[in-house]
Amino acid sequence: MSTSSTCSQISEALIAGRQEELLKHIHSALEQGTEAEQIMNEGLVAAMDAVGQRWKAGDMFLPEVIRSAKAMSGAMEIIRPKLIESNVKTMGTFVIGTVLRDLHDIGKNLVAMMMEGAGFKVVNLGIDLEPQVFVDAVKEHKPDILGMSALLTTTMPQMGEVINALKEAGIRDQVKIIVGGAPVTEEFAQEIGADVYAANAAATVDKVKAMMSAA
Amino acid sequence: MATTRANQIDNITPRFALLSDDQKQRIYLGMIKTLNDTGAHVHHDEARDILEQHGARVVGERVFIPPQLVRRALSTVPPTTTLFNWEGEESCRIEIGRTYFGPGPTPPFFIDPDTLERRKYLRKDAAMVARVCDALPNIGYVDSLGSISDVTNGLADLYEHADQIQNTTKPLMSWAFNVENCRDEHRIGIVLAGGEAEFRQRPNFIHYGEPISPLVSDYHAMSKCVYCATHRIPQVYTPCSIGGATVPASHAGQLVVGLSEAMVGVVVAQLINPGTCVVIGGVQSILDMRQSIYSYGAPELSLLSAALTEMVHFCGLPMFSTSGCTDTKTMEAQSGMEAALSIHAAMLSGATFVHDNGYTESGKTGSIFQTVLDDEIIGMARAIQQGIVVNDESLALEQIKRVGPGGHYLYEDHTLEWARRHWRPTLMDRDSYEDWDRKGRPAMRDRVVKKTRDIIENYEGPAARVPADARKQIDAILAEAEERVRSQSRPKQLQ
Ligand code: B12
Repeated sequence: MSTSSTCSQISEALIAGRQEELLKHIHSALEQGTEAEQIMNEGLVAAMDAVGQRWKAGDMFLPEVIRSAKAMSGAMEIIRPKLIESNVKTMGTFVIGTVLRDLHDIGKNLVAMMMEGAGFKVVNLGIDLEPQVFVDAVKEHKPDILGMSALLTTTMPQMGEVINALKEAGIRDQVKIIVGGAPVTEEFAQEIGADVYAANAAATVDKVKAMMSAA
Repeated sequence: MATTRANQIDNITPRFALLSDDQKQRIYLGMIKTLNDTGAHVHHDEARDILEQHGARVVGERVFIPPQLVRRALSTVPPTTTLFNWEGEESCRIEIGRTYFGPGPTPPFFIDPDTLERRKYLRKDAAMVARVCDALPNIGYVDSLGSISDVTNGLADLYEHADQIQNTTKPLMSWAFNVENCRDEHRIGIVLAGGEAEFRQRPNFIHYGEPISPLVSDYHAMSKCVYCATHRIPQVYTPCSIGGATVPASHAGQLVVGLSEAMVGVVVAQLINPGTCVVIGGVQSILDMRQSIYSYGAPELSLLSAALTEMVHFCGLPMFSTSGCTDTKTMEAQSGMEAALSIHAAMLSGATFVHDNGYTESGKTGSIFQTVLDDEIIGMARAIQQGIVVNDESLALEQIKRVGPGGHYLYEDHTLEWARRHWRPTLMDRDSYEDWDRKGRPAMRDRVVKKTRDIIENYEGPAARVPADARKQIDAILAEAEERVRSQSRPKQLQ
């Protein structure tokens, strides 16, 4: 079997969100000596790009997209260590959580899943988190990007608190910060010194990718 | 006429029936089984203890509620509760069969009445919204349409409550961040009622709180629920269930979970203080799987809300439903379409409180203009809901005979009498082409803006009547709350 047909099988399985089949194809591609980087670029990333496009065009709907994203996350667990071994740049790590006194969960989870779908290693910290939890997570996971979610006008300032805490800990420069949630706006993001604002999960992936390639 | 017909009914108000008896029974049993087998998280020690003492199984934060506890709670909910305004006049009766439409709480943004642009919600908006709602004939209770951004962080709820209660003669629905603010709102209610016992006799607001979908009663929601039950403050305890996200995408599954998460509050409240008023229901809609928004204009919102109304009534409780809201950002045909359908459905289902009239942008922006538009739609829906009177007078056989073929009814006394009952538009365009043209071809949006601004400018409301002494006491409560918040945030800043 040629590598390109395996990559297209990988893509197909990923777009269909069939995780077991996807992992099987990845394992056999690796056994046949296909480079992890090729599997990622020609199989996985290509497929997730297609998923993203189909979603925006209205040809796929959210539960399908999430299946693909979950499958992608499983695939990356196999591929990521191999990429690191061979010194290939990975998509990086994304840490996300909902700020203190805010219990809204769903939007944050959606963003987390979409970022998994984009190939990031995602650490989802949960909801109602003290600034210190974000600081500790940045120290521990060394993420490329930190995402914060706030759905309440009263908890929005907590995002600024987290940024201040990161500054105090001397690690603000080590991470890009993206914020979002119903009451959050572009202006607010700038006010508190975040790097990017995104209005929804799809925009998050686009903006993060743009930011990463600009960096 | 000397004779009457046997079993005569002059008028039946139309109600639609969505669910069969068997369907209701199955959804009810689904709720009973879910509370018993799946249980719910209750992040509140006292509430968990009370539940355990009465036979619930408690494992960590999780509480499994047996059927008999639910049935017992349902047997003590009051069949009717009367609310009063701050002047002590009866303002509404919370019972199955009476319907009060109102705005909704807390969106972060608001449409500025002057510029028509989206901006943050300000303190002055709360009093204005209360006044406008007071003036609108079809709005039955008051809420804020925003959360105040220009007061101390963490006190938006309290300022809103203080300002709104004084600016309306209609019932007020208030929310709170936490139990401390809830207590302060209660204190304001007590000041205006003239004492704690007087407040119990004549409660002048209803509290609104939310458990977390799916199946979590967080500490704040539960502590407010416990506080209200203890002090006999009527309360709404309802989730925002998101079909496909926090609850199953199947409507029946959503009804089971939505009903279950609210029922936890009913059980706790009734155990604490049997006979205290609890209203359940909530926002019931779906996650739009393309845009990933919680849709406030979806037909599913109307369908689910009407079905849940039947379920809540099946349980013997008053329903808190949703209507008059839209996913649009500016007033256009879609705003009217979505609002009209949901208002009509809510009216025909007979919910008690129907909230969110005035929500736009999927619940993110409040618009008093949308509320004014909704007021007109509610009037139309009510005209339909009033049904048709069928009796000897309305059948008008004598008049029909007198006028005969080819005549007309314009001169008849009967017409004078009955035509009065026809619904009369205040916003709908029925002008002739020429009149409409002469007036500058106003669209609905223009007419709504004009009517709204007229009310804002000219309608006074009752605030000027609040006694100076009461106002002083309210200001003192606000000042204490400021001090409390300051002292709470101090240690944080030091560290
Ligand atoms: C569902 C809901 C709840 C549920 C949450 C259930 C759960 N498991 O998450 C419950 C019932 C618990 C709840 C509680 C409350 N809520 Co609420 N809630 C909502 C509601 C209706 C929908 C939110 C939602 O899930 N939307 C669907 C998801 C997919 O969208 P999303 O969250 O916006 O996320 C998207 C984007 O915002 C963005 N995004 C989100 N996070 C992030 C993070 C990053 C990094 C990025 C880049 C992007 C991003 O991408 C996401 C996906 O596309 C909103 C109204 C609204 N339309 O937003 C109110 C709303 C947010 N809630 C509100 C309020 C007031 C409350 C309460 C205070 C109510 C009360 N009186 O008790 C409590 C507060 C509890 C607390 N301490 O947090 C207000 C906030 C107003 C304000 N001025 O702050 C809103 C706007 C409702 C309203 N109109 O008043 N709520």
